[in-house]
Amino acid sequence: MKPSLFRDCFAKKNAAFSERFGAQVVSRVSDQKTEYLLVRDGFGLTDVSYMHRYSFPEDKGLDFLDALCAGNVAKVRFGRMLHTFIADEAGDLVADCYVANNDEQLVLLAESIMDDAAFKSMLLSRGAADAGMTDLSETHALLSVDGYKAWAVVKGLFGADVLGLPYLSVERYEFSGQPLSLFRAGKTSEFGYYLLAPAANAQDLFDACMAHAAESGGGPCGVDIHNDLRLEGRFFNIFAEGATVCDPLPLGLQWMIDFGKESFCGSKAIFERRAKGLSHKIIGVSASADANGFSKGAAVFNGSRKAGDIVAACFSHVLGAQVGLALLPVDIAFSGLAFSLGSKDGPEVQTISMPPIMPKSLTVKLDEL
Amino acid sequence: MQAAIDKRRGVIDTFKRELIRRLNLPYTPEDLHEDVALLGAGLGLDSLDALEIVLCIENSFGIKIPDQNISVLRSINTVVDFVLAQKAESGAAA
Repeated sequence: MKPSLFRDCFAKKNAAFSERFGAQVVSRVSDQKTEYLLVRDGFGLTDVSYMHRYSFPEDKGLDFLDALCAGNVAKVRFGRMLHTFIADEAGDLVADCYVANNDEQLVLLAESIMDDAAFKSMLLSRGAADAGMTDLSETHALLSVDGYKAWAVVKGLFGADVLGLPYLSVERYEFSGQPLSLFRAGKTSEFGYYLLAPAANAQDLFDACMAHAAESGGGPCGVDIHNDLRLEGRFFNIFAEGATVCDPLPLGLQWMIDFGKESFCGSKAIFERRAKGLSHKIIGVSASADANGFSKGAAVFNGSRKAGDIVAACFSHVLGAQVGLALLPVDIAFSGLAFSLGSKDGPEVQTISMPPIMPKSLTVKLDEL
Repeated sequence: MQAAIDKRRGVIDTFKRELIRRLNLPYTPEDLHEDVALLGAGLGLDSLDALEIVLCIENSFGIKIPDQNISVLRSINTVVDFVLAQKAESGAAA
């Protein structure tokens, strides 16, 4: 199992650890509601060193990454990032990733349902060594700061100019005399930043971020709460609906694909399925807080017939209701319809428009602070 | 159920078609999931695009979006909810 590079920092906070696709992760630090409110009202500090991370020299890496990823890597300008995915030859998802163009270097940050060894092996089999790939997994730690007040943490660390960074951008800073890459991204629908720093600086970086905890209402949190935050914000989660559905088209990930590209890994299968048309797709669903059985794998009934399954579920503290995603036939995958859970007589499940909440961060203009 | 679906589908189809045309998006209507984020993540549209979306809604459906109501623009589905609610309201008033 790939160990967490922030293990000692989070262990001191009484964190619970678990394994996810071959990587040790901090699953939680406190209870679900506490961590949820940290992100929605303040900031949450999360160890995301389970993410695969590699760098490539731009001149060699560009063609390699463009042939690998569904999005158009060649169009990523200096200082910007692309959010896309990597599929296998069958056109099924293996990773949800960012490609950042950072100072003559391309950085790949990926969440994958492959473990580290399998993911690296897949990259090497496609020519990563010739593309000059450097594995950052052990040399560099990755921490995320997410939340309504996340900007205050990075502003405190790197100065006010971080507030001018647009969404999906990357910038280099210095921390403890070492280079640090700051990525403005995140999947909670609040402000989000990834901090990539030499592993030797992990503890100092964690402490520096935590120094803002009292002032900005922040604290450490685990990856479990991110599953809920992503779902509520309707950000794609490869560890939830992605691992279950696998096909990017029913998942609504067409926006991550450049259909104008001649080919990328899995493109033949994906383009064929696109031409054929969708039979099913995911749609947001909601049930009251006391509806029993609203969980991943539960059947959704349309009258007496099973229509589909729930593929992701959580409790939304903003809505006071259970929220999820269901895979339904396209002819009934519309918001505003009523179904039942588990059987025709089960609790009511409504299809809903996603995202169902308005994140507080959308009301803040960082460049006007 | 079918009547509700048909009503919603009509607004979705019109909005997607106009959105693709006005913003010159490299997608077909079928490629755009109704829950895809319009601004920032997802389609990655910016504040200028947001103005174009507002005009698109106003011209396609004859409905005005209040200046501060950016929450309507979270996704195609939230725009469609707004359009259907406004149509229902104006229908009830008439």
